[in-house]
Amino acid sequence: MKRIYDLLVIGGGPGGYTAALYAARAGLSVAVLEKLSAGGQMALTDTVDNYPGFPEGIDGFSLGENMQLQAERFGAVTELAEVLDMDLSGKEKAVHTSEGTFWGKTVVISTGASPRKLGLPNEEFYTGKGLHYCAACDGMRYKGKTVAVLGGGDSAVADALALARIAEKVIIVHRRDTLRATKVYHQTLEEASNVTFLWNSEVTELLGQGKLSGIKLKHVQTGEETELSVDGVFVSIGREPSSGLVKNYLELDERGYIVAGENTATSLPGVYAVGDVRTKKLRQIVTAVADGAYAAYAAEEYIAQV
Amino acid sequence: MATVNLNNNQFQTLLAEGKTILVDFWAPWCGYCRRIAPAYEKLAQERDDIIFAKVNIDEEPLLANDANIEVIPTLVLYKEGKAVDFVIAPNSKLAIEKFIEQGVN
Repeated sequence: MKRIYDLLVIGGGPGGYTAALYAARAGLSVAVLEKLSAGGQMALTDTVDNYPGFPEGIDGFSLGENMQLQAERFGAVTELAEVLDMDLSGKEKAVHTSEGTFWGKTVVISTGASPRKLGLPNEEFYTGKGLHYCAACDGMRYKGKTVAVLGGGDSAVADALALARIAEKVIIVHRRDTLRATKVYHQTLEEASNVTFLWNSEVTELLGQGKLSGIKLKHVQTGEETELSVDGVFVSIGREPSSGLVKNYLELDERGYIVAGENTATSLPGVYAVGDVRTKKLRQIVTAVADGAYAAYAAEEYIAQV
Repeated sequence: MATVNLNNNQFQTLLAEGKTILVDFWAPWCGYCRRIAPAYEKLAQERDDIIFAKVNIDEEPLLANDANIEVIPTLVLYKEGKAVDFVIAPNSKLAIEKFIEQGVN
């Protein structure tokens, strides 16, 4: 006989495990489907300093693991399963994964977001071989080397400044002729003597044999093409929601975020969106966990009514 | 089976025996290495047809060097005494499974 959980949580980040914790404590049966390990995006953060309760900060991986253990203490289970497809239309919602099909009366979508890709051929091939999306994770290996940072927003500038302390030379490559980054960064940037800019430039090709050794650039106004030799490239052009699997079922906004308010209700009854994947202004661990609590409460109410 | 931590000697012995070995080259300071660890452990428990090994590159720099490890985590599959394939920073348990299936068969 098939097992039907009261709540299926898709994605084991802070929002997902908080939903699991609250639901499990309310007596619901809960399974969290996570493709790798707990924590989501914060798992790669060295020190989380803005999550209250940890005066010295805590590393993101441990925080995620703690959230998992806490939810499991009250009966939530974790399956290391990658979701391949789902059918959310019926009363019993089916989630098809690499570990088989799971059924739930309600579903929390907490799939988060991931770094936006360049969309270039060979991008996947070069990933980890000179092409990176996380300066904090992979910057250390470029001590004394030359790296390019692609992007012009706050996170690109923060990445460039972090890398400037490690690498010999950092080149910020940006499509426009000014930074979008907030003013506070500008002065620090000017003081960093090893950071230079390539304005109005777009990457059109990744170059290198076996591993990345350079990029081809196109000037957005003149169309002129040049090649730039670098040891590494860090892509920091924003994030995109991981909502591909639900796009046929739930209303998304023009940027792909699941349309849901503070009550986490989506366009389908019994399906809730929490954390970075939903439309919201402030994407933080604390706002994700708040969403998780609300979603569990809403799921409990929904189950009581149907 | 559980995962096994290998030093260079232990690795060379298993390799010489022609065993099929998957090696996770990692280091304690590597954040993404921690992320793949739970999935790696789970897989080791689920299947006993190959050895799931771990090599700390800080403790075994020679072994990491021999294997041409530049980036971690890198998983390398060894079969009949040779490295047959590798994958860098797989992003899910399924991705690791697919990598194993491709290399073993």
